[in-house]
Amino acid sequence: MLKNDRSGLDYYALVKKAKRLIPGHGEKLKLALLADVSTQHLLPLLRVLFAEAGIDAEIYEGGYDTIQLEAYNPASGLYSFQPQIVVILQSLMKLKGQFYDFPEDRGNFSRIQADSIEKLWKAIQSRSPASIIQSTFVIPCERPFGNFGQKVTDHLQDAVRELNRELCLRGRLQPGVFIDDIDHIAAWVGRRHFLDERLWGLAKTLCALEFLPDVAQSLVDIALASIGRAVKCVVLDLDNTLWGGVVGDDGLEGIGLGDLDEGGAFRSFQQYLRELSRRGIMLAVCSKNNETLARQVFQEHSGMVLKEEHIAVFVANWDDKATNIRRIRETLNIGFDSMVFLDDNPFERNLVRQLIPQIIVPELPEEPALYVRFLSELNLFETASHSSLDSQRNILYQEQQKRAAESGKFGDLNEYLQSLDTEAAFKPFEPANLSRIAQLIQRSNQFNLTTRRYAESECGAIMNDAENFFPFTIALRDRVGDFGLINIVILRLRRPDGALEIDTFLMSCRVLQRGVEEYAMNKIFEYARHCRYERVVGRYIPTAKNVMVKDFFQRFGFVCVEDSGAAGSEWSLRVDDYVARKVFIREQPLHPPVPVPAAVAEE
Amino acid sequence: MTKTDIQRQLTTVFRDVFDDPRLELNDSTTAQDVENWDSITHVDLIGAVEKSFGIRFTVKDIRGLTNVGDFIRLIASLVK
Repeated sequence: MLKNDRSGLDYYALVKKAKRLIPGHGEKLKLALLADVSTQHLLPLLRVLFAEAGIDAEIYEGGYDTIQLEAYNPASGLYSFQPQIVVILQSLMKLKGQFYDFPEDRGNFSRIQADSIEKLWKAIQSRSPASIIQSTFVIPCERPFGNFGQKVTDHLQDAVRELNRELCLRGRLQPGVFIDDIDHIAAWVGRRHFLDERLWGLAKTLCALEFLPDVAQSLVDIALASIGRAVKCVVLDLDNTLWGGVVGDDGLEGIGLGDLDEGGAFRSFQQYLRELSRRGIMLAVCSKNNETLARQVFQEHSGMVLKEEHIAVFVANWDDKATNIRRIRETLNIGFDSMVFLDDNPFERNLVRQLIPQIIVPELPEEPALYVRFLSELNLFETASHSSLDSQRNILYQEQQKRAAESGKFGDLNEYLQSLDTEAAFKPFEPANLSRIAQLIQRSNQFNLTTRRYAESECGAIMNDAENFFPFTIALRDRVGDFGLINIVILRLRRPDGALEIDTFLMSCRVLQRGVEEYAMNKIFEYARHCRYERVVGRYIPTAKNVMVKDFFQRFGFVCVEDSGAAGSEWSLRVDDYVARKVFIREQPLHPPVPVPAAVAEE
Repeated sequence: MTKTDIQRQLTTVFRDVFDDPRLELNDSTTAQDVENWDSITHVDLIGAVEKSFGIRFTVKDIRGLTNVGDFIRLIASLVK
């Protein structure tokens, strides 16, 4: 994503930065770039833009036009590189040649091309657990039929349109394949500027140099989302951000919100925000206002698209905004770097930027009619997964607030936990849950002992490898609501010494202090005892975000057998020495299976 | 634009692209004389010169260049 505007995407400035880049900082990421265009100009841009996002990218550059050779040869450099992400970048210019030389009925061209690309994905996925990013093709400018081309199919433009559509449809059915819509970039900047036929002749570049940074940025955006870096919450100011004017001065009827002038701009902006909410981004309000009056606008103003139910946290008071945003962050339990703050007032934006440097604060344009366009251009909301229940996230959160309110009524924690009437569903990995499992693995940062980011395809492989793995999930619900699947444990048989290793243990932060981790640990040792393991071992690998679980193993009586500091510590416990923990969670019978609802924010 | 003007402006572009603030050009300068002037940076250079002078070269123009003198003559023929 762009944190501010496109000014960071100047080709020459980035090339210069690339020369001064000092590698070795940030999270490591191995990306392989396969292309039927020359990638030499793209490579330095990718390095810099990854570095700016805090990623130390190691990039494997396949030879010019060797996509098939790399993919179909199991001994190719691609596979020995062991990439986490494989980019397949294909150009209109190459496709054009294939189209005009196509010997068969052109009506079959798109389908045959799509078949061959899909085969390529499958070949890569059969040999590598990497995620794949596939480019779309730029719709060509040439129109031998003029506008009549819309009515006939025997021409390049129609073939490319159909091919792009085919790639999207097939990509939907193929987990682990992401589509980078290069044609969207080209259309946005203008296809006649994007395509540079002279440069194709000279150097076989994908597009004009000027727009290569946009291409690189979109690849970076998708790669980041695929490793779990994503915006989870948008924090909104109210006066002059969601509506025109100041409700405290202008009154409920006096604010600009409706069909006309500014009012219309604010309405479209709210529609856009409601779409974000549907898509699973949480909305929070942070406003210097009288809370009753501010809420009244949401409840009573007929022009409001956003209602209170769309807002996960509503903060309206006279404290400074940085303090309020910290409160919002605490309640939602997410990182500042996954929050975007939108405010029309430059003073507030600068204050928040200065006090909370990690938060994303776009420099909103002065004209509210341009808010949506501006935010779309930054591509802040890239994601690597979507479940149809993402839109319920705000409801889940509101339930959480209700629980918090109730916990105040009980003196004793156990008494409170009992009153919640919690039920757990313990299950091995199932095909139907894989996308949710992969999503949770990508998103969990805090309650995550090893932060191993398995892609959906890898989760599937683990599920099917019963000789080496026992992976399970826990879903939870209580009197107030349904949390869905919130805990993932992957147990692995450690070959050298036959110990049972906790490869992965992670949990959604929404269910802290409910006894879920105790319940899960009891399950681990039940399993270990059942299979006659002698010892359970586990690692804690520290990251910037998981200090919460530093003492996790100690809590359960594990003994530290090795402490390599930043590289992590290893813990071990004899199965016979484990004392089962008391929990206030009832086990749900396995049938009928519980439906698995959506994710929530930071998990 | 005089030849001197073009040479001065072209020098600025070269210095920027090759990231060398002390780089000097004369008519007989060729790719061999400039560190990092290879096929990749050549494309960067063409783009930067076009942008700086507000002109567009043809592929044939670009292929015909042998030294900086050619470059300056070509630019002179295209700038108003």
